[in-house]
Parts: sequence; structure tokens; C-alpha cells
Amino acid sequence: MQEITKVTLENEMDLILAHKRTMKLAEVAGLSLSAQTTFATAVSEVSRNIIESKKSGYLVLCVKNEQHDQYIVACLKDESPRSGRAGDGLEYAKRLVNKYNISTKGSQTSIELFYYIQPNFKIDILKLDEWRQLFRNEPPISPYDELKRKNEQLQDLSDKFQKSEQQYRTLTNSLPLTIFSLDLEGKLLYANEWLFNYTGYTSAELNQTNWASVVHEEDYGTFSLLLKNDITHGTSVARTQARIRNNSGEFIWHQISLSPFINEKNELLYWIGYIVDIHAQKVVEETLKDNIELKHAQEQLHENQQSLERTINELNRSNLELQQFAYVASHDLQEPVRKLLFYSDYLLNNCRTAIDEKGAFFLESMHASSKRMRKLIQDVLAFSQIDKEKVDFKDVDLNETLAVSCQDLEMYISEKKAVLEIGPLPIVRGDGRMLQQVFENIIGNSIKYAKEGTEPHIKITHEEQPGYHVISFRDNGIGFDEQYLPQLFTLFKRLHNRETYQGTGLGLAICKKIMEMHEGSIEAASDGKSGATFSIAFPVIHLTN
Amino acid sequence: MADDDAEDRMIMEDAFKALGNQETISFAQNGVRTLEILEDCASEGALPKLIILDLNMPLLNGTQTLSKLKEDGRFNNIPVIIYSTSINPVEKSKCLNLGAHSYITKPLSHLESVEIAQQFMTFANVG
Repeated sequence: MQEITKVTLENEMDLILAHKRTMKLAEVAGLSLSAQTTFATAVSEVSRNIIESKKSGYLVLCVKNEQHDQYIVACLKDESPRSGRAGDGLEYAKRLVNKYNISTKGSQTSIELFYYIQPNFKIDILKLDEWRQLFRNEPPISPYDELKRKNEQLQDLSDKFQKSEQQYRTLTNSLPLTIFSLDLEGKLLYANEWLFNYTGYTSAELNQTNWASVVHEEDYGTFSLLLKNDITHGTSVARTQARIRNNSGEFIWHQISLSPFINEKNELLYWIGYIVDIHAQKVVEETLKDNIELKHAQEQLHENQQSLERTINELNRSNLELQQFAYVASHDLQEPVRKLLFYSDYLLNNCRTAIDEKGAFFLESMHASSKRMRKLIQDVLAFSQIDKEKVDFKDVDLNETLAVSCQDLEMYISEKKAVLEIGPLPIVRGDGRMLQQVFENIIGNSIKYAKEGTEPHIKITHEEQPGYHVISFRDNGIGFDEQYLPQLFTLFKRLHNRETYQGTGLGLAICKKIMEMHEGSIEAASDGKSGATFSIAFPVIHLTN
Repeated sequence: MADDDAEDRMIMEDAFKALGNQETISFAQNGVRTLEILEDCASEGALPKLIILDLNMPLLNGTQTLSKLKEDGRFNNIPVIIYSTSINPVEKSKCLNLGAHSYITKPLSHLESVEIAQQFMTFANVG
């Protein structure tokens, strides 16, 4: 510890001197003006206590070198032990300096206040001597001079402060965000230019409406809470997000944050706030939320799809069961029906004499019913067997198919004297046997529903439409009423009663199912008097040869 | 002739009688019995000229019996006719593919049954 100068502490003038010398030493040691003032204030606080206690005390200003650190040290000694009264000033001084040391030796109390000197400020023996010399040569001071000096210092500080405030203002005005301060009532004290430029409102106008003119009505509720006293009396930072209206009238998302400004006595002086544009982040947030919602929707969709698949599988299984049932039932029904036919036929042929007229009539009916039953069972069996898996897809020449069908119907055709006008037919991809059945059903129908007294005439033609081969069967029969078109191809549906026209009602349903198996379709049209046209369509598929 | 239906057996028996048949006809109730009868015939050294099989029989049905017959070197030369209620062409082609000589549907009247019996006689005598 290198002593530089000493000041006894007995009266008010000594206090001034102590302060002055502390300032001077701090100045030459390279401390800034504010640092000088701070340190000198600390020293003054403790010095005052010593003076007031009236015990002989003194101040020694020193410089200390501790390893790499150098300090300016104020050693204050007095003959009184540390007492309560010294407390306040000493506590304050402690806070102002970098380091302190308090020790007692007998009745003497020693308080050392350390202040940091910049390491790049070289202090050597010469400097120290120079400083000692400085204080030795110092002229004595008068209170007037001292006051004048103090005034000058204050003025200087004031100027510096004003300049600092100006810098602050310039800095905050240049920032692209709003900085402001609010008093305890939530009114604007200061706001940088940005607030005005962005919203177009002055502080006064905003205060008048309590910001209602710029904050989005949906967000105003939360925002106004910030301005209210009750919430903001805490000591933590308050934050909220709200939409602020800019000059163009658009509402943009901003983050509003308020921090309390508290003095050394823990009193709330005012609020410092800032408002930052977070619109982009908010948009991302919303998009992310939408994405999450989308993801949920997708998950729901996936679940639904799985549920749907399960249902489809269930339906398929159910369908298969029904088909198998129809097959087994019709198959097993054939045998008893056959017996009925056989026995009723025998009775009719061989027992006529033994039965009365009515009995014979009933027997005839029984025989006829059995025949119908047999036909029906065969049709149901045929229908139940039209199974996608069993379709044998090959290239089928429809001309050949038609030829075979006509051969099967040969007897019927000649019996009814039907005439068929046949055009060239294409080759399609399908099951020959099934298509044969379709032809037989359609041609059979046309002959069956011929006009009384007219020979049935059927014209069979081929037309190529975009993507489809269409084969049409145009007859000159009785036709049908088109209002029944939806029912025409349904199971068991007949448009005439049994007496007039025979049939099980399955023929067209079988045709429709077969065409569906071939990815095609069947349609019918009629004007109700000059006949009907049945058209079957096959998708044009690239043939294997 | 193998048929599990007693009435059908009776119908055909009557039909053969109406023809004035001289040949012996053995009736079996199912495929298993049919094979047993054939074993007996084999040991006696007198094989039947024609085998008629109904399709739907318990234990061993028509197609199964047919397959077994065709696998056995002793019996696979005897013509087999499948005779059934069903007129299903798929069933028909299946039987023909398995080696059946022909496929005939069961009669719907007495007259038909006699016609069928005549057909059988013809098959048996021609071979």
C-alpha cells in the first residue's frame, strides 16, 4: 500500500478537502468522471460519520497493487468502535466501491474502501511521487471556491447527462421497434418516434383512448390489464401479444413487454416497455397449428379408411357366405324338385283313370309348378355362380359366341319363326360361356316378348364408342314402359304376369351381373310400342394377340 | 350303379326292367361300397362292363370315386358315366377332365329314365 496523501477529519472543511482530494487522486489515476464521483461520494459518506462522531479520525488516500489488480484505496481510521449510527452511510459506501475492508484494532476502527484502476494505466514509482508532490503543492481552499467548483462540476455533469439523454433518444428513435415508458397510472411518459410513425397517433392521443384506437378489439382486454395498476404492481416482467393497427389500417401481431423500473429503495418508479413486430412468427405459429390440425385430420382419415377396409372385408365375407348359401341351397333343392316332376309325370300318364277331373287338374298344376321351380332353381344357381374369381378371361370372338347361342336356341327360334339380322361383331376380352348366356337371355327375351301375330325380328349390330365396344339387340316386339327402367335389371322383377309370359325374372339380372364382371354394362331403351333395344358395352382392352 | 338315394335306385331298376334287361346290375350306396364291390369282382376275375356314379354321395362322392378308379390299374379301363341332377356345365367339364366317359342328367319322367337306361346298355355293350 502506497500512501499518497493524508487528511485529518475534524470539521466540515475537512470533509470538503477529503472529497476534493479523493476526486483529484481518482482523476489522475485515470478514473472516469462518474467513477471519480462515485468513489468520492463513498469516501465522503464514511468521512462524515467520522467527523460527526467527534473522535479523532483521518483519511489516508493510497494506491495498492495486488497481483494483477491495482486499486485506489481510501483508508479511514477513527478512535470509535463501529456503531449503529455509522451504519447507513457505511452501507451506502460499501455499495459504491469495488471492495472494502473493515477491521478493529483495539479501540481503533479501520475502514478501507477500494476502487479499481484500469490495468492498462501504468503506475510506477515516478507517478506515485508525482501525485504526492501534487497534493503537497495544493493551495488551501476557501468554502466559496469549493462551492464554485462544485457548481461547475454539477453543470458539467448536467451537460453530460443531457447529451446522454440525447444519445438515448437518437438511439431509440432509430430502432425499428417501439420503446416507451409508462407511469404508474399506465399513461405514456416517453415513447420513441417509432410508435408515432407506426400507428400515426401521438402519446397524448394514445393516452386519451388508453390505446383502444390501435389495439385490436379482441386483444384489447388482455392489453388493458397490463395498463391497470392491480396487475402491474408486481416486480416481474409482464408480457402479452396483441394486434396493433398500423398506418395502413392493417392489424399486425406484436409482442408487448413491460419491465418495472425500481430505485435503490425498491420503489416502483415507472414501467419500461417495448413493442416488437412478431407477425411472421405468429403466421408460422398459425400454420403450424393448422399443420397439427391437418395431421389430426389425416390421422382421423387414416382411421376411417381402416374402419372402411374392415367394413369392406366384412361385407365381402358376408357376400361370399350369401353366394355360397345360394349355391348350396339351390343345388340341394334340385333333387327334391326333380322327384316332384318325375312322380307327378308318372301319375299324370299312368293314373288318369284313377283320379277325378279336379284331381287331374291339380296334378297338372303341381307338375307345372314343379317345372317352374326347377327353372327358378337353375337360374338362382346360375346367378350365384357368377363369381369374379371364376371368370375365365380370354379373347372371345363374339361372332362365335353368337353362333353357339343361336344353336342352343335353335328349336325356339324355328318354333317362333324368328329372324335374326346379324352384323359383324368384335373380339373382346371375357368369359365365352358367360357371354353366351347373356346372348341367349337377350335373344330369348326378344323372341318371348314378340308382338302377337308378328314374326320376331332381331337386329344385332356393333358400334365402337370412345373406350367401349357396344353391341345392340334391336327387336320389333312389344317393348316396355321406360318408367320401369330402374327395375328392369333387378332380381326376380317381372313386368308381366306369369300367364301372359313365362319367365323367372332372373334373366336380365344375370346379364347385368355378367356384364359387371366384365367391367362393362347393359342398358335398355324402348318407346313402348315398336320394340326394345338392349345394348351391352365392353371396355376396349388391348388384346393379347 | 352307385347312388345314395333309394328312390333313384328304384327308378333306374324299374327302367332296366322295362327294357327287359338280362345283365346283372349291382347297386351301391356310396363310393366306398362301390370300391368294395369292385374288389370282389377283381378277386372273382369278372369286372363290370360299365360303372355309373351319382355325384353326391356320402363317404366317397362321385368325383372322388372316379379319381380312385382311374388311379387303379385294374379298373381304369372300365367306362364310367357320371349321372347327376345338376346340369352345371362347370361340373360336367370337371368330370370329363377327370376321365369320365360321359355326363348324363337324371331323368324327369319315366320315359326319360327308360331312354337313359337304353343309353347305358349301349355304352356297356360297345365298351
